[in-house]
Amino acid sequence: MKLACTFFLCCVFFIACTDKNEKSHDQAETKPDTAIVHTPTNPYAAIDLSPMDMSYFPVNYSQLKMTHDITTPPIMRVIYSRPHRQGRTIFGNLLKYGQRWRLGANEASEIEFFQNVTIQDKKVNAGRYIIYCIPYQEKWTIILNNDLYTWGLKIDSTKDVMQFDVPAKKAAADFEYFTMVFQPITNGAELVMAWDDTEGRLPINF
Amino acid sequence: MKQIILLTFMAISVLTGNAQTAATNNLPPVDKSPMDMCYYPSNYPVLKIQDKITEPAVARVIYSRPQKNGRLIFGDLVEYGKVWRLGANEATEIEFFRSVKIGDKKVEKGRYTLYAIPMEDSWTIILNKDNDVWGAFKYDEQKDVVRTTVPVQKLSEGVEALAMTFEKSDSGCNLIIAWDNIKASLPISLK
Repeated sequence: MKLACTFFLCCVFFIACTDKNEKSHDQAETKPDTAIVHTPTNPYAAIDLSPMDMSYFPVNYSQLKMTHDITTPPIMRVIYSRPHRQGRTIFGNLLKYGQRWRLGANEASEIEFFQNVTIQDKKVNAGRYIIYCIPYQEKWTIILNNDLYTWGLKIDSTKDVMQFDVPAKKAAADFEYFTMVFQPITNGAELVMAWDDTEGRLPINF
Repeated sequence: MKQIILLTFMAISVLTGNAQTAATNNLPPVDKSPMDMCYYPSNYPVLKIQDKITEPAVARVIYSRPQKNGRLIFGDLVEYGKVWRLGANEATEIEFFRSVKIGDKKVEKGRYTLYAIPMEDSWTIILNKDNDVWGAFKYDEQKDVVRTTVPVQKLSEGVEALAMTFEKSDSGCNLIIAWDNIKASLPISLK
């Protein structure tokens, strides 16, 4: 009983700590996410609380390249960090409607098109962009920006290149971790952005 | 008591947090070896938003970070004399935003895949131009851009997760690679 209590208290303490930690990042601080719980201190680079991830289109391009003889280059990829919900209400609460959201954590999320693509009938030139969002209850405004190699908390909107509105919908599942992935559609792919109970889909044609 | 145990389990499931229901929806779960990124100058994106940049971005590495998990790494999990992907999952990528020199070779601005062949006392570090690959499973020596051999250093304190970071040097910077009790340093000249 005593042991269980102690353990429980430890858990609560830890949750409280990490929660505080995450919140502080959302309050325009620039410190990297550095909560290490399961590993000893890493003198070179701490493990991030919100791990980074990468998605390609074609889906799993790098694995396909390993298992098949693919000679065509990938069409696009996104590199982003994955905050987790940790019991919080995300939309309209942690992320305020009408305010910029970095679509990730830590380093600004980056999308790269390896060829020209078309989004909502507008041509988007091949190249690398920062991608971020202004969420509303019914729609998300997705913005491509030229201010590369930056931290997600300070976005220079004078470098916005294009923006697109997509509907905000109830997600098909419940997302603990923020997730970005490409899914094929006719004549292209959708960039699926999902967190908590909400998702947005940006159609990309090529 | 029952309640406490239940709460404890709830707490644990929050802690581990891996139960992303998305897995059932063909969407990716969080990786076991999380991806990370490092720049030279170090922390470039943070410096940028603090208006503290004194020199342009030179390089960045994107890599995944396997953990030691109690295993013996070098000479065992990572075999001596064999090409190692210096990471996990997607192959490790190094990008130069300007041309640099590695060994005596000029390396043009661009993206490269980074590999190493570890030996007991030295590592051969390889830059290869076959990008967007997975691991070292299809490594093709024909596509090497540069190979350079560097000595390794034994660390007194173990490093649990593979770590990479850049440090400033007299001629430019070094890419520091550390895991378990080994550290290697790849000199990159900007002159």
